[in-house]
Formats: sequence, structure tokens, C-alpha cells
Amino acid sequence: MIGRTPSPRSWSINNLTDVVTARRSGLKLALTLGFPAPEATKIAVVISELARNIILYAGTGVVSLIPHVEDGEVYIKVIAQDHGPGIEDIERVLAGGYTTSKGLGKGVSGSKRLMDDFEIESEVGKGTKITAVKWLRIRR
Amino acid sequence: METSTINKLEDLLLVSVPRDLMDDEVLLLRRQVVQGIREYHSRWVLLDFSLVDICDSFFGRFIQSTARMVKLMGADVIVSGLQDAVIETMVELGMTLPNIRAVLDLDEALVLSRESKHTMEKIIPDLQVDESADTQEDLLATDTFFLNSLKEG
Repeated sequence: MIGRTPSPRSWSINNLTDVVTARRSGLKLALTLGFPAPEATKIAVVISELARNIILYAGTGVVSLIPHVEDGEVYIKVIAQDHGPGIEDIERVLAGGYTTSKGLGKGVSGSKRLMDDFEIESEVGKGTKITAVKWLRIRR
Repeated sequence: METSTINKLEDLLLVSVPRDLMDDEVLLLRRQVVQGIREYHSRWVLLDFSLVDICDSFFGRFIQSTARMVKLMGADVIVSGLQDAVIETMVELGMTLPNIRAVLDLDEALVLSRESKHTMEKIIPDLQVDESADTQEDLLATDTFFLNSLKEG
């Protein structure tokens, strides 16, 4: 585990290469912060799902990773934001009830299970912001 | 772009899946698998995931769609080399691979393929329709793309 908080970082998500870059960086950052491999993998997968949804539904957007290290408390916050069409029924998305051709439901509801906190803010016609947090609980 | 490697070993078509699969690479890889089965008359396709350390839902759809194509060739998919962290994440993400056999390594895959050759016993054909609309539609979306590109090609 490291003693100081690394700088937050952001990626503009425009294509699948950006998705791969963001999730790879997320995996590396999580491991650096002391997350065990399975937990770091989950963070990387959530970044992948959220960034991929940005490409599928909004076209472009931004994914940010905000690490936090303070008084022995460590977490990573993932924020995925876009100015796409927005989500009409957030509860349904979180319950995995959407069955669109692109598979939104599974990716989002699955991501929620992988994280400790998961919040969707969305306005139809304006965009979506998803904030997900994972705390470091098990030390290596 | 990372390239996958495909080799023949007895009845197995060995496929090393690259670390980060992109959509166009999936298309290419599945075509290579189908061509490989045709060329070598393989009865089994071993998808080795040793290099894969991030498994999102797209990764799961890749395995399922590849398995369906392989099935249409009269062969079966076996997966191997899934890392511990990947397995834990797949289960928590809710990803399942129904009717797909998993083995620990190449040795076990060889044993499986040799046993089936002697007993003529293969995995029960996957004839039932997957009722999960989400997965089904995802597959159709991917496969329509695949078929269209085949027509174009």
C-alpha cells in the first residue's frame, strides 16, 4: 500500500482503444494502491463496461479515476460521464431489466455488484453520470 | 493489434486468445477458428485465456458466440487458463458459460479429447435455445454483423 494519494486521471472515450487504455490504467492504479488482483480486476471490468456503454449509447464521453489514500482509508472512485441520450428508467437499468440489442442491463447491473457504491444520475436528452466506488478492505 | 495464435494438436485446435480483444479482432479470430476446424478436421477448440486479465461482458459474449459457431461445424469449445481473478469477477458479474466445458490446462484438454475419441462420447449437443433475451439479442447483434461482413467478403 502506498502512503500518498496519486493524482486523479481522466480519459476522453471516443473509441474502443480508449476503453482498453482506460481499463488498463485502472488495473495498474488499483494494484499500485494495494488492491488484491481480483479486486483490481473488478475495478478494471467496471471501467470497461462503463466506457463501452459511453461508446454504444453516447458516442463520446469521459472516464475519470479518483484515488483516495488518507489515514489508512483507501478507495478508488470511477466516474463515467457523457452528454448522450440519458436513461429513462434508472431503476430498471440497475435491476438488469433492460434487454436492448447492445446489452446495457447486464453491464450496468453487473458493475453495481462488483463495486461498493454505485450511483447513476441521468437526465433524458442531457446525459448520464455514473459514479462507482470500491474500498480497499482486504490487505494483501 | 495483438494477434492470436492458432495451432493443431491431435483433435484439438489450440487458440491463444489475446489479452485485449477488440471487436474487429473478434471477427477475425472467429473466422480463423472456423477455417482451422475445416482445415484440420478438429473435433475440439481449446480457447486458452491465460493472457486475459480483464473479462467484461463483451468477453463473455465472445466465448458464447464462438461456441455456437464451433457447434455448427460439429465441434465443441473447451476453455482453459482462466485466471483466479478473472473467474471471481466473471461469477460476481453474473457471467455464465452454459454448456461450455472448462479445463485447467492443455494436459487435461488432451485427456478429455482422447477419452471422447475412444468412447465416442461428446458433450451433449447444445440444442436448446438460450432463453435469456439479453444474451440472445447480444449474440444476434454480433452475429448479424458477422454474417453481413461474410456476405460483403
